[in-house]
Amino acid sequence: MPKAIEIESFSYKYPDGTTALSDITLSVEAGARLALIGPNGAGKSTLLLAMAGFVKGTGKVLIDGLEINKENLKKIRTRLGCCLENPDDQLFMPTLFDDVAFGPLNMGLEAEQVKQRVAEALQTVGLAELGDKAPHHLSAGQKRAAAIATILSMAPKIITLDEPDGSLDPRNRNNLVKLLKDLPQTLIIATCNMNFAAAIANRAALLDKGRIIAHDDARELMSNSELMTEHGLEVPHTIWQGDM
Amino acid sequence: MHHAHIDKFAYQDSLVHRLDSRVKFIVVLVFTALVISLPRTSVSILACYAVGPFAILVLAGIPLRFVFKHILLVSPFVLILALSCPLYDKTPVSVAFGPFLWNTSVGWMRCFTILGKFTVTMLALIALVSTTRFNDLLTGLQRLGLPRLLVIQLGFLYRYIFVLIDRAHRILRARAGRRLRRLKFRAELKIAASMLGSLFIRSIDAAEHINIAMQARGFDGNWRTLSKLQIRRCDLFFLLAAVVFMLGIYFFLKPILL
Repeated sequence: MPKAIEIESFSYKYPDGTTALSDITLSVEAGARLALIGPNGAGKSTLLLAMAGFVKGTGKVLIDGLEINKENLKKIRTRLGCCLENPDDQLFMPTLFDDVAFGPLNMGLEAEQVKQRVAEALQTVGLAELGDKAPHHLSAGQKRAAAIATILSMAPKIITLDEPDGSLDPRNRNNLVKLLKDLPQTLIIATCNMNFAAAIANRAALLDKGRIIAHDDARELMSNSELMTEHGLEVPHTIWQGDM
Repeated sequence: MHHAHIDKFAYQDSLVHRLDSRVKFIVVLVFTALVISLPRTSVSILACYAVGPFAILVLAGIPLRFVFKHILLVSPFVLILALSCPLYDKTPVSVAFGPFLWNTSVGWMRCFTILGKFTVTMLALIALVSTTRFNDLLTGLQRLGLPRLLVIQLGFLYRYIFVLIDRAHRILRARAGRRLRRLKFRAELKIAASMLGSLFIRSIDAAEHINIAMQARGFDGNWRTLSKLQIRRCDLFFLLAAVVFMLGIYFFLKPILL
């Protein structure tokens, strides 16, 4: 299988000298749904930023075969869509339509193509009727879906999502699980919610104190109660009940 | 959190809503300039001018209760200015309004003119923002030659002012939840400064994240949008009607009424 993401010995320190990521080596196959799990402050968000080229450290990061450097950055950002933790940061335009069109327009697509991409992306996330709405008129669940639409309209091969289930009620969380499971792209999902991770991911990587502790099949890794507890996590209810 | 958005009726559909934002903006700009330039003895002309925005608001289906509520919300600043006029100019003057005649002072006349001009221009402004989506207004302003950077700044202001207000409310609530006794003024001031600092740091943090979100979607400094503005026959008709209305009052009614 071709590799969507390859990271070799990547390390990064914050400007104050604190180590954020240490000797990260990770490989993600194309089409995989990888859950990046770990306690708060483990370095999950920083690793996602490193994948999008926003964090420059030592080591090598390859996205869809392209090494992250100044020359490749523009190409990489059309191949890897990065969805931030807070949808209010992701939705910065006056209307939802303009927000979803922002990426395709910057890619240099023609007006008709942009309109088509926006319509398709909004349709996929179930917000087809809300294109004219201002982001501050959307509910938390709609904002989350809209944030994903802003990425889908760019048709990337890889999507990274930082805590996408944050502040969602069970119904909206289930809708999000359904939406993400139906996406054909390679997904990298950073989350502290093990049930959410177990519902979507087929691979999992456990990150703690800036290091990759384990990388395995999602069910295999998340059912290891000793490992999960040691790193401040829990075995997902779905796996736990399945074992009973 | 719920906010009293001034543009909450801008998403309705009516003949006025469908007009081009540039035409509406220019009409409101000229209208405001004309109203402001009226002399202080022009209370009756102001009443004639008020008919224009009033008719637009009714035609667009904007509830007048909403309009007057928003005028009242911003009136305190103007009220202070207007009500101070009778205090410093007490020159007596006789005023005639139709068959009625009474004595008053120049200060009171100035007070009524300021309040009248404020109400009429606010009516026009609310008519503009209640019938025009902010995004269309921004696109229109850009097409009219407003600097791109200023348009982007206005767009961000509109998008994030409510987020910022929400954050401020949360900080104030957190403070109120732990305020168990009254502190000295200096201590309160110190806490207020910390709260403002916290809000400022969070704003910078949010700005950094927004910058990341923009760059992640290919932003290279050029602001691209799909403009949907188009001048049609009804826009030209509205422009003509507005010109006839404004100039008609200015050149024909003004000499009769003054």
